[in-house]
Amino acid sequence: MSAEAMVFLFGVIVGACLLFVKVFFVILISDLEVDYINPIELCNKLNQFVLPEMCVHAFMTSIFLLGGQWIATAWNLPLVAYNANKIMNNKHMFDATEIFRTLGQHKKECFIKLGFYLLSFFYYLYRMILALVNDS
Amino acid sequence: MNQLADKMGTMNVGPGYGYNSQGGTNIPTVALMGVAPRVLDLDMPPPAINLPANSSITDSLHANCDPSYKRSTLNAIPATSQLLQKSRLPFGLVITPYRSVKEGDDPVPVVTDSIIARCRRCRTYINPFVRFVEGGQRWKCNMCYTLNEVPSSFDYDSLTQQPVDRWQRKELNHAVVEYIAPTEYMVRPPQPLVHLFVIDVSYPSVQCGMLATAATTILESLDRIPDDEGRTKVGIITVDSSIHFYNLNTRSGEPQMLVVSDLEDPFLPQPQDLLCNLKECRPTLENLLNRLNDMFKDTQAIGNALGPALQSAHKLISPIGGKILCLQATLPNLGGGALKVREDPKLLGTSKESTLLQAGSSFYKTLAIDCSKTQVCVDMFLFGSHYSDVATLSCLPRYTGGNTFFYPAFTAAKSEDALKFAHELAEFLSQRIALEAVMRVRASKGLRMSAFFGNFFVRSTDLLSLPNVPRDQSYSIEVSFEDNLTIPTVCFQTALLHTSSYGERRIRVLTLALPVTNSLADLYQSADQVAITTLLASKAVERGMSAKLDDARDALTNKCVDILGVYKTHLTASSSGATPNLQLSDNLKLLPLLTLGMLKHVALRGGSQIPSDLRSYAMHLFSTLPSQCLIPYIHPRFYSLHNMPENCGTIGANGIEMPITMNLSSERLERSGLFLLEDSQNIFLWLGRDAVPQLCMDLFGVPNCESVRGGKTTLPVLESDFNRRVNLIVGKTREMRRTSYYPQVYVIKDDGDPALRLWFLSHLIEDRAEPMMSYHQFLGYLKDRVNSY
Repeated sequence: MSAEAMVFLFGVIVGACLLFVKVFFVILISDLEVDYINPIELCNKLNQFVLPEMCVHAFMTSIFLLGGQWIATAWNLPLVAYNANKIMNNKHMFDATEIFRTLGQHKKECFIKLGFYLLSFFYYLYRMILALVNDS
Repeated sequence: MNQLADKMGTMNVGPGYGYNSQGGTNIPTVALMGVAPRVLDLDMPPPAINLPANSSITDSLHANCDPSYKRSTLNAIPATSQLLQKSRLPFGLVITPYRSVKEGDDPVPVVTDSIIARCRRCRTYINPFVRFVEGGQRWKCNMCYTLNEVPSSFDYDSLTQQPVDRWQRKELNHAVVEYIAPTEYMVRPPQPLVHLFVIDVSYPSVQCGMLATAATTILESLDRIPDDEGRTKVGIITVDSSIHFYNLNTRSGEPQMLVVSDLEDPFLPQPQDLLCNLKECRPTLENLLNRLNDMFKDTQAIGNALGPALQSAHKLISPIGGKILCLQATLPNLGGGALKVREDPKLLGTSKESTLLQAGSSFYKTLAIDCSKTQVCVDMFLFGSHYSDVATLSCLPRYTGGNTFFYPAFTAAKSEDALKFAHELAEFLSQRIALEAVMRVRASKGLRMSAFFGNFFVRSTDLLSLPNVPRDQSYSIEVSFEDNLTIPTVCFQTALLHTSSYGERRIRVLTLALPVTNSLADLYQSADQVAITTLLASKAVERGMSAKLDDARDALTNKCVDILGVYKTHLTASSSGATPNLQLSDNLKLLPLLTLGMLKHVALRGGSQIPSDLRSYAMHLFSTLPSQCLIPYIHPRFYSLHNMPENCGTIGANGIEMPITMNLSSERLERSGLFLLEDSQNIFLWLGRDAVPQLCMDLFGVPNCESVRGGKTTLPVLESDFNRRVNLIVGKTREMRRTSYYPQVYVIKDDGDPALRLWFLSHLIEDRAEPMMSYHQFLGYLKDRVNSY
């Protein structure tokens, strides 16, 4: 298996994980809206995943960079920058006291990220298959 | 071209919108410019609620909610969201569910037989606006129109085996009722009242006399703490660089002090007796309070570990829930929750200023969430000779339903300072508060509560959790449309499930019914300027804290322009082109003045002169004061005393007669006069430089104007008639706001301390104060904006 295929295999696995995390976020947020979960629990649950998600994503991007996959790197860099900016301004965590005021924003962000990860996933899959085909 | 198109657009409004297209209306309209605003009308009741005939099933006078409990910004509800959008009026509720009931007020009727009829679908409580159908067998819910069975006990008392008259039931005759809740409404037995004091005993606290005053006040108020069933619990924790607990249940009657100096992981030194029954531990407690000041009078400790102390206080009372009263005179600087002096004069007046108004540490927010979960409320009494970080520390009360009191530059050596604090603390301790409460506001189908403002924790989209409900705290709620309304009346019902200080689980229900209208004119005619101001003040504070103060001010001005613009285009004859004057309906005519008052208020005013502590505190008051306090806080009451009529300050038919309120303009000040200005937090007595010696003699007992001391004063009680009258007026202003705040009297001399004088003059909001506009300039500015609208 070539290096390229390895890199994209890794991308596919990580992409799937990120996708699952976001689906989990969306489910919990809609639970909050219909009052199945209280905001304190919601924030405790979601906040555990915020930093790992961002780190894993940044790590994946750096793997793409090391693997010389410029398109994949460029595609992911804006999100890395966005996340870094959020951490710097200390706005990355869910705040139970503000959650109802910011619910709309969070939801929008979640859906955009979900779409982003979905597109990425298929792109990595496609590139992986392409690399495997070229190998053989 | 665009303007023309706009005009054409307004001509073609549908037939539903009444008189708009004709231009002329029959709303009582007033011109704003060129005349002094009629400030007397600030005390007018809100516009009448014109419900269709027979809306209520009983003809009780109390069938609809009193505005002091709940008022809506619009006393007629627009039928569609488009109409609301077009009117640009803010739509929301201002709720003071647990207002105090003073002598002469009607007490809240109580339903004692624990028959609670609720709609099975939307859980609405039965109220005077439901319908009985099928011969009275069922009732139709007025929110969701579901049919429900009428409980048989409405007509027949199975205990006495007698028929009863359902029309006598309190919940069908009163919009404000309280139910005694059965066990279904409890998750545990009703909690007792718990007061846990966390008192700062570091050097600055002892030095400024806070500790001594607090100990004496608590000692003297022990009898006033509600304790009807002998269940009330009290505990004391003192804190400097270590945390001191007191065992109040010793055999000898001597309190035993237990010191914990581990701030990393604070623990409770013993499992029980740190929190004791008030009746049982009374002698030990008195003993401790008597000695508290002596114990620490020689302290050198400058450290303060408030964070760990609060954590252990929370640990101590979390099994029961209750109230932590925190008396803090220094900036906490040890352990978790240590704070730094953040005040930076360079940031004041810039767009970065709001960072100083936000919490500087997430510690207190996290703790507040934990407290809220365990039904613990934290109240903050802050005393600062320096920076106290009100912004961060007031987070705790904000999310736990508490209250913040702030005493800048407090020294007990000044008897006025000590008196104010002692009075407010004593009042606060004696309040009959509600405990472990949740509040939910339901509304007719189509309406939704979209934003909440005040001191509480939002637990779900429409449920507020309040570990404590203090008396006279106000909450604002913004309402939005989900669907158009097809019903003739809408109903808002607030239910506050709480434990009273008598140890009873109760539900207080407030029902407000309002008519629905299709006409913009009705909407404007029924708008309540006081409620609008209260809602806008909360929203502006929210905006100022989360974004920029500039944004908050712009939003207020724009709202005013929008309202004036809509009124001009749709409801006056001169809908087109520039108008020579601004017009607004009579019931809204003071909105521009109140807006200007907010823009010029310490809470929102621009400039780099306002320390962030004072601003944070003013913002806290903006979002918690009930309307009857907030309106004078924004637009102070101003009286002329030297020439008041003979009957003012004497006891008349309606209590003490007050002089007539004047416009807040320095034109009214006379060089030889005496004026009183009151903003519900402070009382100012302005003494002109040419005041006649007789006046000084009569009022202050000094021979001439020069001998009168400026600043904080206690008015002497003299034999003279004038002194007695002024004292009565001051006394009346202190009690008429129905809150526990105790306004201090400041004497401002025209030729005295310039800083004091400027402070006084900043309350005269109709004046020009660079760079802020005068009232007439502000109207001119609004007119220009409206004309290009």
